[in-house]
Amino acid sequence: MPAARGDGMRGLAVFISDIRNCKSKEAEIKRINKELANIRSKFKGDKTLDGYQKKKYVCKLLFIFLLGHDIDFGHMEAVNLLSSNKYTEKQIGYLFISVLVNTNSDLIRLIIQSIKNDLTARNPVHVNLALQCIANIGSREMAEAFSTDIPRLLVSGETIDVVKQSAALCLLRLFRIHPDIIPSGEWTNPDHSNSRIIHLLNDQHMGVVTAASSLIEALVKRSPDEYKGCVSLAVSRLSRIVTSSYTDLQDYTYYFVPAPWLSVKLLRLLQNYPPPDDPGVRGRLNECLETILNKAQEPPKSKKVQHSNAKNAVLFEAISLIIHSDSEPNLLVRACNQLGQFLTHRETNLRYLALESMCLLATSEFSHEAVKKHQETVINALKTERDVSVRQRAVDLLYAMCDRSNAEEIVQEMLNYLETADYSIREEMVLKVAILAEKYATDYSWYVDVILNLIRMAGDHVSEEVWYRVIQIVVNREDVQGYAAKTVFEALQAPACHENMVKVGGYILGEFGNLIAGDPRSAPIVQFNLLHSKYHLCSVATRALLLSTYIKFVNLFPEIKGQIQEVFKQDSNIRSSDAELQQRASEYLKLSIVASTDVLATVLEEMPPFPERESSILAILKKKKPGRTVEPIDPNKDTSQASTSSTTERHHHAEPTAHQNGQTDLLVDVLGDMYSSQSQSGAGLMNNAVGHQNNLGGGTAPVDNLSKLSWKNNGILYENDILQIGVKAEYRLNLGRMTLFYGNKSDFSLNGFNPTVAALGDLATRLTVQVKPVESTIVAGAQVQQTINIECLEDFKEYPSLVVTFLYNNTQQKLNLKLPVTINKFFEATDMNGETFFSRWKNLGGPQQETQSIFKAAHPMDSNANGAKLSGFGMQLLKGIDPNPDNFVCAAILHTRNQQIGCLLRLEPNRQAGMYRMTVRASKDTVSKQMCDLLAEHF
Amino acid sequence: MIGGLFIYNHKGEVLISRVYRDDIGRNAVDAFRVNVIHARQQVRSPVTNIARTSFFHVKRANIWVAAVTKQNVNAAMVFEFLLKIIDCMQSYFGKISEENVKNNFVLIYELLDEILDFGYPQNTDSGVLKTFITQQGVKSQTKEEQAQITSQVTGQIGWRREGIKYRRNELFLDVLEFCNLLMSPQGQVLSAHVAGKVVMKSFLSGMPECKFGINDKIVMDSKAGKGLNTDEQVRTSGKPVVVIDDCQFHQCVKLSKFETEHSISFIPPDGEFELMKYRTTKDISLPFRVIPLVREVGRTRMEVKVVLKSNFKPSLLGQKIECKIPTPLNTSGVQLICMKGKAKYKASENAIVWKIKRMAGMKETQLSAEIELLETDTKKKWTRPPISLNFEVPFAPSGFKVRYLKVFESKLNYSDHEVIKWVRYIGRSGLYETRC
Repeated sequence: MPAARGDGMRGLAVFISDIRNCKSKEAEIKRINKELANIRSKFKGDKTLDGYQKKKYVCKLLFIFLLGHDIDFGHMEAVNLLSSNKYTEKQIGYLFISVLVNTNSDLIRLIIQSIKNDLTARNPVHVNLALQCIANIGSREMAEAFSTDIPRLLVSGETIDVVKQSAALCLLRLFRIHPDIIPSGEWTNPDHSNSRIIHLLNDQHMGVVTAASSLIEALVKRSPDEYKGCVSLAVSRLSRIVTSSYTDLQDYTYYFVPAPWLSVKLLRLLQNYPPPDDPGVRGRLNECLETILNKAQEPPKSKKVQHSNAKNAVLFEAISLIIHSDSEPNLLVRACNQLGQFLTHRETNLRYLALESMCLLATSEFSHEAVKKHQETVINALKTERDVSVRQRAVDLLYAMCDRSNAEEIVQEMLNYLETADYSIREEMVLKVAILAEKYATDYSWYVDVILNLIRMAGDHVSEEVWYRVIQIVVNREDVQGYAAKTVFEALQAPACHENMVKVGGYILGEFGNLIAGDPRSAPIVQFNLLHSKYHLCSVATRALLLSTYIKFVNLFPEIKGQIQEVFKQDSNIRSSDAELQQRASEYLKLSIVASTDVLATVLEEMPPFPERESSILAILKKKKPGRTVEPIDPNKDTSQASTSSTTERHHHAEPTAHQNGQTDLLVDVLGDMYSSQSQSGAGLMNNAVGHQNNLGGGTAPVDNLSKLSWKNNGILYENDILQIGVKAEYRLNLGRMTLFYGNKSDFSLNGFNPTVAALGDLATRLTVQVKPVESTIVAGAQVQQTINIECLEDFKEYPSLVVTFLYNNTQQKLNLKLPVTINKFFEATDMNGETFFSRWKNLGGPQQETQSIFKAAHPMDSNANGAKLSGFGMQLLKGIDPNPDNFVCAAILHTRNQQIGCLLRLEPNRQAGMYRMTVRASKDTVSKQMCDLLAEHF
Repeated sequence: MIGGLFIYNHKGEVLISRVYRDDIGRNAVDAFRVNVIHARQQVRSPVTNIARTSFFHVKRANIWVAAVTKQNVNAAMVFEFLLKIIDCMQSYFGKISEENVKNNFVLIYELLDEILDFGYPQNTDSGVLKTFITQQGVKSQTKEEQAQITSQVTGQIGWRREGIKYRRNELFLDVLEFCNLLMSPQGQVLSAHVAGKVVMKSFLSGMPECKFGINDKIVMDSKAGKGLNTDEQVRTSGKPVVVIDDCQFHQCVKLSKFETEHSISFIPPDGEFELMKYRTTKDISLPFRVIPLVREVGRTRMEVKVVLKSNFKPSLLGQKIECKIPTPLNTSGVQLICMKGKAKYKASENAIVWKIKRMAGMKETQLSAEIELLETDTKKKWTRPPISLNFEVPFAPSGFKVRYLKVFESKLNYSDHEVIKWVRYIGRSGLYETRC
């Protein structure tokens, strides 16, 4: 600061030292009061103060203000100082104003005028002071007042370099606060200042270029197209710097590195654009990047840390640019090799940065292979690195560089590391291992091994989703089921195993225990005892799952039914304090006693394959670390490997849709809803038995399961991205109670939610429907219930209507649906022997009473499935009546309020022709017709 | 149940730290410094709660004395105790200052050990303490002296030792009153009360029993009741009575006698002590009246005129009169004219200070000031703080009178007449303010 000698303000120094010498706060306040009174009298006094005095008092006021006291005068004097010709006086004036003047002060107009004067002043120092003040205040008024002056200064030929530099930075500051201050579009005219701004990159003065490059980058971020011209300029500027020797740029060489800050800024600027189209420019840029890479190989010119820091800063920015453009395989590989050298560098920061950049490199198809070369080093880093954040990066990189060829090795290494890994990164590592194992599994038994290992080693960090997923995969892939059963059985034999392991074991043995039952070492009773030995150590949720497993065992191994019933009967289960356990125990017990083997077989059938969808694990990983997760490269993109596994492929196709689904995935995930849907008490026996299948209709396209629900009481009626409507119903004679579950899957709450249920027209005389109102708002992710009471007065054809209206994201939505209420819901299954059946069949022999239809099979002619459908329909399957065992004969009574109608049915499949003949006889003609219509579409 | 006691200097450095109970940790010392002494906003409440710990502090000059506790103690007791400690220290080494505390820290620790036991206050009477906590070297005491100390510390009359002998039996009685007032600009009394105390200095031989009589209304009424008529007599006798709102006695006063006979009788400690404290609110004769006249002339000028009237017997003289007239915060200059005394604008206090050395009763004087103001950009109006007055007058504004003080000493041979008695009345200003 060119403060003239003898200009030091003695009064100020004395005042400050007085304040510092004060013994107490009170003394300080007294001294300040005295000084303020003195300044007031001076300002008020008749004697006009000269510049020096004004400066001194304004300085004192500033000091008092900085001590925390309010200053409410002196502004005028400060503004007066602005018009002084002396640098120091002007400077103090500007300082006071930028610190003390609030933006809506009356004085602002005066200040603006003074600044205007200074901006046009001939003395560049004054112009700079004015620019600094504008930037410091940075208010809207300032921005408006100088929106033309500053750009003019910036591009004018007469302005000297120092001023240009300040003007660029000042403009940048105003632009950041009020982006509209530099209008876009208007300046696209080539001779306008806009293009001249980018030509500042060509300026002789490096300071101007540095300041301008910051400004240009901010502008480019807003409207890249308008400033496209800067690319070639930046490239040529960069090449001039890079090729220059460190002696060329005297003042701008920092520890032998030519203009490191400017280089970094230019490289960053270039990262806003794709690689240049013009081959010349492109070649030049590549040359620069190569030179930077070459320079990194040169021996350091200095041992100072500043030298290497500056050099590496430029290098890393260059590598970022190379990764960003992702077009030059040669450069990418070189960059990768360069980073590889850093991987073993002494400097921890360098290792960290190298790993981070390599993560990005691994995603490029050109350098992926090159990155893989460093696998050993990275794994080594994982093992030996002391800094946890670096280890974290190493895990990220391993995850990113993984593909089919090295998956097994990497997964193994990660598993090994997991045992000693820090707790902070364990959960993430578990997810990553699970994803990699699934994604690159060629052999699913390997996958099962990996996941079980995972649960064994880091059970606490294995989230629910991971074991859901392994079950999904095992259920869907027949070839691993046996192996999985065997492996979990072995894993469970460990004296202490994690609860998640028990869950997986319970589920898998329950489904596929029969596959290993042949081996006497894993005989049914052994399996059961093994599982039950863990039972008492588990949480309620796991116990509930194990109870389901036991009932499945009853079906799979009838020989151990006795032991299982004993378990159900235990006080700790059937009288458990937990309602869920109690309900399950008592219902399963009853089921195992009452139901015949056939019923058991139907109810406890093996789980159907799950619909394919994105692994929920990936969604979690994404949620956990938004923006930082690098997806492993898609193997489909990898041309060298013909994709083999159809599962993986499908999996990838499903990905785009699964993104929006990510959050609500849990709602419909494998077992996610199992407990919640089952714990609704009052659900019938059937509900629980098919409980596994509840709510499994996934997918994002709207689902409308109306016809399916005619032979099921529970399930999903409708589902789209926003809303899921589940149904649970119970019927008894002519009465029914249906519960609708409205689940909000979106991220917003649904307002004005209003479902209306009505039996319209003729139906109103045949069916009464009573509805309880629901809350009008469903918050995101919540579920509300609605109970509907139904009474059948007479037989009917139509479905009651369900109209749902709500506001989603402020748009009105309306859904027209039908309630799955059909006459067969009011059936009561009737058992009878052959004799009675035939006598009734003959009784209903009238031509009106019989309806017959012959139709083509729409589904595979599976006799078991058909049996299940018919009994789900509410009729009693009568076995051994019809001489042909393929044929089905059923009987039921339809209950209405006014009458009871007997219904008899005969279904004769013709396998050769793929046809069915269905004959229905009912005591009322409309009923038989309706039944025929309803049933025909399901076979 | 005080948990600990700390003394800090103005910078917050700990000079004395004594912890009496385990529930007070070392960090309590820092907590008080950080939250009270170094607080951004000045802490005005004398009680501060920090993390379930209560800090009670008083400040003397630049010294902070803080008592700490985690229990729910009687705050009044703690403050009484703190003031006692300060009195006690003052009687040992004079003014409380950082230097004095530093120079006497051994003594202070000794005192603290003696007057607080496990946080419970003990005998704080400096006269007694001085008998066994001395600033001189310990000279070997005789058996009798030792026995005396024991009996005194444990005995019934803990405040006076036996065997005191004076050639001249003498006693001094000071009635010291602080007069507090808040008056509206129109001269209406908004609130007024007098806090007074009777300080006695006795140089009497043996174990004398004293009887003290004042013109308390209740006592006078009961006296009059014994005679013929009630109030009539008092009024006709022309003797004014004082209505005491509440009073408090030194521990030597026999309270049972006061309750039954309304007589104050006691065996006085040797030397100086505070015999009683009292408060009155009725029939206060205000010694001075301030009549302010403030006129704002435009935005840059203000005229202030203050008239001061003395309102007591012309034969008496008021002393050390000091009137403080606040000025606005944007005062840039003040011109003053006063008829009596000296007046000065003190910028450091933002006030005009008008000092008058002496002033007789039933007089009037005035001061006029022209204040120049600087225009500021804040629209805030000046709050006009009240004008305050300090003074000292040789009478008791409450009307308190000592009627008699009789000394009986049965064992030794001196009678009441031989005791030389001195009585003095001093009326001082407390917070004596007039709004303007």
